[in-house]
Amino acid sequence: MTQPIVRIQNLKKSFGSLEVLKDVDLEVTKGEVVVILGPSGSGKSTLLRCINRLEEPTGGHIWFEDVEITDPKTNINDVREHIGMVFQSFNLFPHLTAKGNVMLAQRKVLRRDKAEADRIAVEQLVKVGLGDRADYYPAQLSGGQQQRVAIARALAMDPHVMLFDEVTSALDPELVRGVLDVMKALAAGGMTMLVVTHEMGFARDVASRVVFMDEGVICEQGTPEEVFDHPKSDRTKDFLGHIR
Amino acid sequence: MTMSRAGLRRVSLLLTASALALMFLMSTAVPAFAADALQGTTFTLNQTSGGKPTRFTFSTVVTQQIDSLALGFPEGFDLKAITLDVVTLDGLKRIPVTFTQSVEGQSVKLVFDPPIKAGFELRVQIYQVVLPMEGGQYNATIDYVSAGVPGHTTTPPFSFDTFTSVQAISGWLDEQGWVKSWNSVKFLNLFMQPQMMVTSAPILFTGWLMSIALVGVAFPFAIAGGLLLAFAKMSKLWPVRFISNIYINVIRGTPLFLQIFIAFVGLPIAGMTGIPLFPTGVIVLALNSSAYLAEIFRAGIQSISKGQFEAASSLGMSYPKAMAFVIIPQTVKRVLPTMTSEFILLFKDTALLSAVGVFELMLYSNSIATRSGNLTPFMVAAVYYLIITVPLINWVTGLEKRLAISEGGQAASDNTGGRRRRRWWPASASAEADRQASAAQHESR
Repeated sequence: MTQPIVRIQNLKKSFGSLEVLKDVDLEVTKGEVVVILGPSGSGKSTLLRCINRLEEPTGGHIWFEDVEITDPKTNINDVREHIGMVFQSFNLFPHLTAKGNVMLAQRKVLRRDKAEADRIAVEQLVKVGLGDRADYYPAQLSGGQQQRVAIARALAMDPHVMLFDEVTSALDPELVRGVLDVMKALAAGGMTMLVVTHEMGFARDVASRVVFMDEGVICEQGTPEEVFDHPKSDRTKDFLGHIR
Repeated sequence: MTMSRAGLRRVSLLLTASALALMFLMSTAVPAFAADALQGTTFTLNQTSGGKPTRFTFSTVVTQQIDSLALGFPEGFDLKAITLDVVTLDGLKRIPVTFTQSVEGQSVKLVFDPPIKAGFELRVQIYQVVLPMEGGQYNATIDYVSAGVPGHTTTPPFSFDTFTSVQAISGWLDEQGWVKSWNSVKFLNLFMQPQMMVTSAPILFTGWLMSIALVGVAFPFAIAGGLLLAFAKMSKLWPVRFISNIYINVIRGTPLFLQIFIAFVGLPIAGMTGIPLFPTGVIVLALNSSAYLAEIFRAGIQSISKGQFEAASSLGMSYPKAMAFVIIPQTVKRVLPTMTSEFILLFKDTALLSAVGVFELMLYSNSIATRSGNLTPFMVAAVYYLIITVPLINWVTGLEKRLAISEGGQAASDNTGGRRRRRWWPASASAEADRQASAAQHESR
């Protein structure tokens, strides 16, 4: 068994008196595509956001590779360089072009020179099918295109793991496919991914493991076949029953 | 009789004290022959500027009998159209006088028959003397014959201003029929008198430049101060936040007028005298505006959605880097309209400095209006203010439209920039910004 790339132990997170995560354990190995499912408010997004400490955990430990993220001494910005994240609301920088978005952190964080950052930016934009949109501003792009630029922006940092937080939820149905195709290609290329989504089809086709969460705990996990076709937990059954 | 004459002279001395003083100086300098035939000479004109017909009043006390008198005007004075009025007084009693008049070159010659007796006061009024364009100080010469003996002296100096093109236009307007009928309407005459517009505009221009200079120097300082205060207010250190908060609230919570009075009246009383008006005005405006700008900047920064900061963070950017490369560039675009409106407000607020004697647009217009009793200078001042404000207002409106398009409906931020006055930008834009501002609390990150 290889060393897990992300290891989560007894993770707890509360917002005031509201306990969102109650003692979550999860390990993700290199190359795995873990799809996290669950009803809204189950804590799946919070779990993802704890991994790069956009949310500060209330308790427990998270390791990324050899570094304990939850250690206060850790410089979180150094860790975040290696953890790509894509958001539901794209969060592209509106004052920069598509290429400018992909270049910014390469230049300011990785300190790549301009030519290299430019080359990589174009390369990544071509990879997500937007080679011809490099000089467009986010406002000139469709939601699906914006989300693919966001993916390119994260990939340009050469992340070791990618976090996808409901990346298709804000998209019009006809635009979802393009984004999912990019993610599938990424998975096929061996990228380690943690994906929070409501796209059951994607989970079934691409996931190496499906994790079902409800009320701040992991109820069930396994291969897509195990979880979708032979769910053990009543809550999973109930959830899958509702969405079918 | 001598008593009453002396008394009369005292009255005229009171009325034209300075001219008389000059006359005494003059009379000592004048050649001795028969110079004492005239005493207490005054020579006044009815006009302050050249190029216009005016009335001269020559007044003197005759100490020896006067047979004839010639008043010589300097070159350039036009005597073609003059009419005369001669009065002699014995004390307060008018004595009839018969005379013949003639104009010889630059001289107005009067021959009295019978001669004017010693002790009488002679007053000659010359109407319709057209002054030369060029202003300056002049003397008229007086040649007279006293009992067959000629005498010569000069009048006390008199002066007037150069006839300007403005006065020429004003004088031309005076003659126009439409101006006369326009001015016959009381309201138009009081608020929009053409002559007053023409004469006050150049004077107010100086004040306008002063107002622009005040705000032009103060605003850059206010921007620097505002940025400092905005970051202080978002600081993690509570004492820094506390001080910044107190400053902003005190400044925004008190009238600018009060702050001006504290600076201009209070500081000299407190012993800080000798600070010139202009820098004091600039400092007060800058200190005041920085508090408003601080709130504009803070609201602008916090109106940038939290997702922007998170996206920057997820890419490994530190707080300063995220601020410098992601948040601030977006903020600048968003606060530009509100900042401009703050500039407009500050520009208009320079008018308050008139109350403490800073000679800017408002004080100039007020002083002309008070002196003339005509309110046209206020209208002219309004136009001067509008020359600056209207283009800026239009520019801001266009800017907000473009911004609204580029951000897909999320228009410019303002909530706290709203000063003691009405806002003129769309309220819907600020509602959105309000929502964003409260959602994006970077401190709670």
